[in-house]
Amino acid sequence: MKYRLLAATIVIAASPLLAEVDLTPPESASEAEGLEAWARIYEVASHPRCSNCHTGESDHPMWSGPSYGQARPHGMNIRAGESRMGVEYIPCQACHTTMSEDWENANAMPHTAPRVPMFWQLAPVEADWFGRSSIEICEQLRDPELNGGRDTMALAEHLDHDLILHWAWNPGGNREPAPYSLQEHVDDILIWGVAGMPCPES
Amino acid sequence: MRLTVNGTEHEVDVEPDMPLLWVLRDELNITGPKYGCGIAQCGACTVHVDGFAVRSCQLAIGDLQGDVTTIEGLGTPDNLHAVQEAWIEQQVAQCGYCQSGQIMQAADLLAANPTPSDEDIDAVMGGNLCRCGTYPRIRAAVHAAATKLQGA
Amino acid sequence: MASLGKIARRTFLIGSAAIAGGVAFGVYAARQPFPNPNLDDLSEGSASFNPWVIVDNERVTLIAPHADKGQGVFSTQAALIAEELDIELDQVEVSFGMPDQAYFNTAITEAAAGFPMYDHSPTAERVRGFLGGVAKLAIPMMATGGSSAMPDVYTKLREAGATARETLKLAASEESGVPVADLRTERGAVILPDGTELPYTALAARAATLAPVTDVALRDPSQWRMLGQPMDRIDIVQKSTGTLPYGIDFRTDDMRFATVKVNPRQGGAMNGYDASAAEAMPGVERIIEITGGVAVVANNTWRAIQAANAIEFDWGAAPYPADQAAHWEHLAGIFDDEHLNAEARVEGDVEAAAGEEITGEYRSPYIAHAPLEPLNATILVTEDRVDIWTGHQVQQFVEQVVAEITGHEVDNVHLHNQFMGGSFGHRLEFDFIRQAAEIAHQMRGTPVQMTYSREEDFVHDFPRHITMGRGVAKVLDGQVNALDVQIAGQSVMRSQMGRMGLSLPGPDTQLHEGAWDAPMFNLPNFRVRSYLTEALAPVSSWRAVGAGPNVFIFESLLDEAIHAAGADPLEERIRLMGHDVSVGVLEAVGDMCSWNGANIGEGRGRGVAYGFSFGVAVATVVEVTNTDGGIKLDHVWVAADVGRVLDPVNLENLAQGGTVFGLGHAINCEITYADGMAEQTNYHAHEGMRIWQCPPIEFRALENNPKIRGFGEPPIPPSAPALGNAIFAATGQRIREMPFNKHIAFV
Repeated sequence: MKYRLLAATIVIAASPLLAEVDLTPPESASEAEGLEAWARIYEVASHPRCSNCHTGESDHPMWSGPSYGQARPHGMNIRAGESRMGVEYIPCQACHTTMSEDWENANAMPHTAPRVPMFWQLAPVEADWFGRSSIEICEQLRDPELNGGRDTMALAEHLDHDLILHWAWNPGGNREPAPYSLQEHVDDILIWGVAGMPCPES
Repeated sequence: MRLTVNGTEHEVDVEPDMPLLWVLRDELNITGPKYGCGIAQCGACTVHVDGFAVRSCQLAIGDLQGDVTTIEGLGTPDNLHAVQEAWIEQQVAQCGYCQSGQIMQAADLLAANPTPSDEDIDAVMGGNLCRCGTYPRIRAAVHAAATKLQGA
Repeated sequence: MASLGKIARRTFLIGSAAIAGGVAFGVYAARQPFPNPNLDDLSEGSASFNPWVIVDNERVTLIAPHADKGQGVFSTQAALIAEELDIELDQVEVSFGMPDQAYFNTAITEAAAGFPMYDHSPTAERVRGFLGGVAKLAIPMMATGGSSAMPDVYTKLREAGATARETLKLAASEESGVPVADLRTERGAVILPDGTELPYTALAARAATLAPVTDVALRDPSQWRMLGQPMDRIDIVQKSTGTLPYGIDFRTDDMRFATVKVNPRQGGAMNGYDASAAEAMPGVERIIEITGGVAVVANNTWRAIQAANAIEFDWGAAPYPADQAAHWEHLAGIFDDEHLNAEARVEGDVEAAAGEEITGEYRSPYIAHAPLEPLNATILVTEDRVDIWTGHQVQQFVEQVVAEITGHEVDNVHLHNQFMGGSFGHRLEFDFIRQAAEIAHQMRGTPVQMTYSREEDFVHDFPRHITMGRGVAKVLDGQVNALDVQIAGQSVMRSQMGRMGLSLPGPDTQLHEGAWDAPMFNLPNFRVRSYLTEALAPVSSWRAVGAGPNVFIFESLLDEAIHAAGADPLEERIRLMGHDVSVGVLEAVGDMCSWNGANIGEGRGRGVAYGFSFGVAVATVVEVTNTDGGIKLDHVWVAADVGRVLDPVNLENLAQGGTVFGLGHAINCEITYADGMAEQTNYHAHEGMRIWQCPPIEFRALENNPKIRGFGEPPIPPSAPALGNAIFAATGQRIREMPFNKHIAFV
């Protein structure tokens, strides 16, 4: 399979959208507080707005959640390939076009392909969350081998910078947003980190 | 706002969130790209931006970066692109309304993958809906076009 | 095939032809009761004899009046004329012409004659002839539908071509002094014995002075040059280069773009609306009240759609049950004498017949037409005349409907029929025409193109009717001994004709079409009854109409019975069939797939189904595998008998496409109502088949049918039951309701 250079399209459109997320960790957090934070984090991670694109070895994104009925692979036989961006087949960006400004109604139309100010893509293979349990995702997320070598501060920064993630809380159309808010989710990550990244036992 | 379509530069006075499709169709009267669904479900509006297939109903004109090629710019009746030649030889079209998009997507597929398998074709062309059901002929035409391009 | 360069140089004459001096030919001159519409456009001193062939000093123009929605009749009509006229398709211009009663469809009433279309007895033919005559006198309807185009034009277009040829030869004889018997014709010219070529265009003026030669013999098919051979469709280059203008592509100076919103609860009232936000949006020029809703006129279609979406409406209730479950409950309650539409077939005594009983209840849902080109029409109203640019299947009614709204004499209303990006029956409807006319009437002097958003196209569709079937089969000694089929559904014809202001007396034959006329003459006990309601959502003809649901019901029940009897699904169907043409297609499809039973290994299966619709016998075999990811369609074989194959490539394309259409909708499409509104508003929820689900589809055409038949619809009915029967063979699961994906997963 030949890849064409994606030079023109891979450039992330200059974005004014870097969110103002407060990345200040709490001074302390107990294990119990950490587990409570984790429970909320899992609600987010397992929510369709997030997990649909964390499909692991499968390069098929998923369509699931209240607006889709039964969970099924992304329609149209969409495959993200090894690139996780679809360049071997049809780039995600053919439909999930980038938006360089925060058009007020960028994703207002129901059932359109969502648009964000960066290249749409699947999460890396090792971030395999779809259909996984709280324990499994927790273990993955605290393992540097599986989380991109990040500590919790780096995870929180990733949430700040990776604009595709922001869409989860503002998905538009008739899609259900991820629970809580971006800031609350970042806060929970930081609490969980300060508490020593505890994972539930059952 | 300025854009280049099929090598010609145009100036249009439109809102930046107007989809490229409607700039082409209703502002510039370039009607080869078709409106079918407006939500990236049918592929009839497919054009190339800097050589890559894009659903023009999804691309806000304010986000357009690059030159646009529509079906009219891919090839003409007097100077057919290899994919169009194959489409004619296989007599693919019935109503033909989706075929502009099918051909643009197929041209992009063959630029990336000169010898696609049926599985590759099914993965890349899966977003292009044909209500008349010409899929068996589309598959045959993609293979035929691949052969033509290999020989070229 | 013609060279690409030649094809590329072809141009079409779309819409009205401005003919400067010329002659038109046709055998119908003598017995044609209607004036020749071409006369209006011919200059003084010119003659015109008939509606289909016009020759002037520059070109030969063929009129192909049947609408082309993708089925290819534009090309085939031209080829029928050109075959006898001895001219090549790259030498002519082809036009849809202008609507006229001269082009009335002689074949469309045939299905309503009350005889199965395989019945060629003198009585059946007399009734058909009588009905055709009545139709000619009462409503000489120009229409394209019911797969009737080829039966309608097969003879008359060849006669028109032959008449023109012989008259041109007579003109050449007068010019040259050479007897007609010594002249021949080729490539658009009369050729003298010495080889001199007299082009038809050079003979036009003299031919115009002659009475047409109507005593012509048509050539035997064995002498055909192009018919029966693979042909390039004459629209193929334009359709492959984005240069064919559909109705939605029509552009003219100073035109405006509009869209409409009407109550998504079909037929419900508009109690009020607030368009203040829409009025302020960019490009919006007018907000116009129309019947049942509001139109936005803007300078760009997208702006019009955006503004229409910004209007707040107060819609009234639907005049039918609000929720889908109530639609099914209603149907379940009409299997009684009060609702009896017809006892359409009675053979033997199904109730007294012996055998083990098998019963089943089957459901076929509402389905949207959803042609890929959303419905649209461009209309310009001026003081003197009205011009309409749209694709429609009932051309003259369009002019009448618009004339009623604008107040013009119908003679001053002109439809320029356009190529259609599909129809599947949606372009038999008139709401979009009326809406566009109401807008243009209020925008006099300005051409306005009204386009439905895809969402409006879905929610304001009149879908395929829902149908419920109940069957009892009896099997005895390894054979099917009785079939008793009851079908309850809406009357498509009453719903559709009611919107045209017409009433349908008597039963609606579409309610049992495809079941009552199954030519299973060796089935000793056979009864088909149908039950009719008009209380549900408004519905319309959806490609194959009644035969779609009914063949699914009939062939599923039959398959259950055959399996219960322990017989072979193909062999038992052949045994039951006493109709040679039908036996032929079943044997052919068995030969094509090397049929060796329905069970072909663990998790794999084959299903066969037979459908008879629009006079065409079709047999389909589907092969599936039950994989971990769901049912996978591996292969399909189709055999059909249309009597005479005019274009084998196009016919194969229609067989493949019709099969895809039937299978795709059976797998994943339905329209359901909630709160009175269709819940499916775009292709994400009603997608039909996509390329990756499409198996290889092999086709064989037979020519044993005594009459030529059209093939736009017949491939569809047997495809769904063939798939359901294959799934049963592979999994043991009998699916009695479409769409199948409600009951089993597909890859």
